[in-house]
Amino acid sequence: MLVELKNGETYNGHLVSCDNWMNINLREVICTSRDGDKFWRMPECYIRGSTIKYLRIPDEIIDMVKEDLVVKAKGRRDAKTARGGQRGRGAQRGSFGGRGGKGPGGPGGRGGGGVGRPFNKPRGKIEIFINEPVDKV
Amino acid sequence: MSTGKENKDENSKSFTPSRIFKSRRDSHDDLPIEGWPMGTATLLTEIDKKMMVVLRDNRTLIGYLRSIDQFGNLALHQTIERIYVGSKYGDIPRGIFIVRGENAVLLGELDQTRDVGLIEQVSVEEILNAQRREQEAKQEKNKVLAKALRERGLSFVNDLVQEDQF
Repeated sequence: MLVELKNGETYNGHLVSCDNWMNINLREVICTSRDGDKFWRMPECYIRGSTIKYLRIPDEIIDMVKEDLVVKAKGRRDAKTARGGQRGRGAQRGSFGGRGGKGPGGPGGRGGGGVGRPFNKPRGKIEIFINEPVDKV
Repeated sequence: MSTGKENKDENSKSFTPSRIFKSRRDSHDDLPIEGWPMGTATLLTEIDKKMMVVLRDNRTLIGYLRSIDQFGNLALHQTIERIYVGSKYGDIPRGIFIVRGENAVLLGELDQTRDVGLIEQVSVEEILNAQRREQEAKQEKNKVLAKALRERGLSFVNDLVQEDQF
């Protein structure tokens, strides 16, 4: 995913984790200066939420959320039959697991999910990356 | 008889999200949302509409508002960035945006019937060129201004004039 800060710098990398304050951990980051003329590559970085302007995430995320919902629903159904009608919260966990390397571009299997999931719980194997650098306007 | 009972039931449930969304879809858009006090400001009625967002850095985004939260963070889907230069504009497809609420200056529903014909859409390349020319012209102007001010013993902060008027 791509994070643009209020000062115009952009950070393009794989989301590792985030929290309720929008603080974000990224891995394999490419930092681009405000004017888009300087680049830095760094293995990981941490971004304070309050400095963020916006996040851009790849379209494929939507499909992943759909998949996740299906898996969740299935998990819930299973839990229901297994426990005689009780809703199992545990069944919702880890539904993203075991699907590494399906994401677009780049080596697979790292990064955590961000959308529609509880914050603060890095897990799973989604690939979140916008391949092309953002056009500088 | 039965209607009275139903109304009571509806009122008791009216603050749950599903009720809000249901009443939003069922009722006319101009009416207040059922169960909320009159004049309550909410973005829930705008969800799934095509919205224009202006950011503090003067960028304009247009996309379908898919989600919001208590901070005014916005999730935009099928977003385009629209660049206006004079009476021309160009659209750049950008995908999904999550805008941190504090950076949004304006959020409004896009009335696609209003400005038809008044401004002209041009290609991305053309609008980017136009924008660059506009920027350069502005910088030139600022240089002249800075020089004039300096000669009169005043300082000129370029950055303040350039952007972030909000």
